[in-house]
Amino acid sequence: MKENFKIAWRNLWRNRRRTIITSASVFFAVFFAVIMRSYQLGSYDHMISSFIESYSGYLQVQHIKFQDDPLIDNSFSYTDSLAARISRVDKVVSVAPHIESFALVSSGTQTKGTVVLAIDPEKERKFSNPENKLVKYRITREAIDRLKGSGNIHANVLDEIEKNIGNSYSSRARLELELGLSADDNELYIPEILKACEVSNGFLTNYDEGVLVSDRLAGYLKTTIGDTIILLGQGYHGASAAGVFPVRGIIKMPVPDIDNRLIIMTIQAAQKFLDSEGMITSLSVNLTGKSHRTLNEAKNKINLLLIDGITTAKTWEELNPVLVQQIQGDSQSGMAMLALLYFIIFFGIYGTVLMMVAERTREFGVLISIGMQKRKLKKIISIEMLLLGSIGLVCGLLAGTPIILYFYYYPIILKGDLAKMMEDYGVDPMMPTAWFGPYFYWQAIIIGLMILIATIYPLRKIGKLKVIEALRS
Amino acid sequence: MKVIEIRDVHKIYDETEVAVRAVDGVTLNFDEAEFAAIVGPSGSGKTTLLNLIGGLDIPTLGEITIAGTNLRTLKSSELIDFRLHNIGFVFQSYNLIPVLSAKENVEFIMTLQKWPRKERDDRTFELLKAVGLEDRINSRPAKMSGGQQQRVAVARALASRPKFVLADEPTANLDSKSASKLLEIMEKLNHEEKITFIFSTHDARVVKMAHRVITLEDGKVVSDEVRE
Repeated sequence: MKENFKIAWRNLWRNRRRTIITSASVFFAVFFAVIMRSYQLGSYDHMISSFIESYSGYLQVQHIKFQDDPLIDNSFSYTDSLAARISRVDKVVSVAPHIESFALVSSGTQTKGTVVLAIDPEKERKFSNPENKLVKYRITREAIDRLKGSGNIHANVLDEIEKNIGNSYSSRARLELELGLSADDNELYIPEILKACEVSNGFLTNYDEGVLVSDRLAGYLKTTIGDTIILLGQGYHGASAAGVFPVRGIIKMPVPDIDNRLIIMTIQAAQKFLDSEGMITSLSVNLTGKSHRTLNEAKNKINLLLIDGITTAKTWEELNPVLVQQIQGDSQSGMAMLALLYFIIFFGIYGTVLMMVAERTREFGVLISIGMQKRKLKKIISIEMLLLGSIGLVCGLLAGTPIILYFYYYPIILKGDLAKMMEDYGVDPMMPTAWFGPYFYWQAIIIGLMILIATIYPLRKIGKLKVIEALRS
Repeated sequence: MKVIEIRDVHKIYDETEVAVRAVDGVTLNFDEAEFAAIVGPSGSGKTTLLNLIGGLDIPTLGEITIAGTNLRTLKSSELIDFRLHNIGFVFQSYNLIPVLSAKENVEFIMTLQKWPRKERDDRTFELLKAVGLEDRINSRPAKMSGGQQQRVAVARALASRPKFVLADEPTANLDSKSASKLLEIMEKLNHEEKITFIFSTHDARVVKMAHRVITLEDGKVVSDEVRE
């Protein structure tokens, strides 16, 4: 075996340039494939986690009619004991009751249709922790004027800040990323910028009568903390729902589509507003894993606990078929691109194999004539082919690994028009990579298959080789 | 003792409209330690006869028996194995394995035969010394002259102590000095190792040194001269 490997390895470098070119083509294909796929899957994960974990949950217990007809009439009676039983199901990390309804919101002369989400503030802390999403900093004209007035901020930094006027942030890290200042500028100016842009914000208490308004909606309504808003909707069994609610806080939702139309209040306030005492529309459940298996196992176990006949557990995929279709469609187009890339690479490898066989037919004849069995020659050629593919494959995976790792921990934050475009599509403008998974190992399988197919030709050629003809070639 | 027995061997190529009789009813015997040259004009059937003796080609008619084994009775893989253990080949254009050094080329056959490393090393050094290349053991074929490559090829052919060596025009691509040196080496090895050498050649120097000269014309043996 050692001898076979030695000959195969040396054969590989007989035509150094050709081997380098072929390996380079495999390298670039693998490198781009893992990076591209990692970004694609990372974006899906991000989209799912920003939408699902912070809003609907991986599983929801709903009235059987609620998904098709999302009215408060299709709500169900909630008890703490049900939530407790569900939270004991394997892989369940948090359970939170929600009421989801629709209402018209009005403030001053502005009116808009909104989603009203009612939460239990204590339970919600463990579920989506909306407190983390409260707006902490906002770049306003007044804040910029204060910074200009202090005379401590460099003009270039002020320009960067001005570009982001009107934007609000739920964390210092997000503000720093968005401004994109150098490390030195960050150290020098960020404390003063934070101070100037700081927003005092509040959260809901358990029996609060106030509401949280999503940042973009608050901007549209021209409302702020301490103001009041009017909600008008339809309550339980056709009752009119109307109420005046003080704004306790402004919340920045990661998904722009939700950030445009969300009002959060407590369950008690919502039940009073909608006249639906003791009722909720969903129990949202977050899990430790996201795999189909985990989801379905948890769903089945929860369904066993639902004995009232009017409620059922549904996965996020069942609840968001459009999102699932979007992801599947995008994923398939990405895979089609990769297939095209590999298709081209395959012909590169196959061309190399054809030339290699044509150049060495005589040598094959010599080796067989002096006593090398065809099966041994086939082994050497197979090892040679394997090495040819492996060099590019291993290098491609090794080169892709640090990039995937880096952007997994430090995702690209998009800015400008591209960010706006993504926001318009309802996606947080952030591009993380996906952690190493099957997509990474699949590259090895694909290259392995390509090599296997390309190896069929020389092996057949050796199998059918006539020594005399080979020696004359 | 007879090493090779050729009985009424014919090789007919009938792929073309007119069948070509490359070897036409040849009957010959070769004994141990012979140094024989097969001569004749181009197209007389020298290389074809050599290929038939070496089991690289199958006769249309007739039998070739080597050390008691009728080649016709062997399957393809058995024939390869038979060549490995019984026949050494020296080709006109050397045909060394380009990625292996002189030493590795010589020991290649022994590796295929699974010789122990120590014996392999000893035999390789002994042969490379015999062909005067003990100082080039680590050189690859591309770094050696044609004469040196052909000497490595001779060492390779003798490596596993075959019953006989077939050399197809071994001096054809060599200058006269290299050719003479190669012939001297082969004659010496023939004498020392008692291995039969059969050449096909046009080279008068080879003919001059041969102990037996077989002349072919149109695939037939027209003379078989044994010299003392």
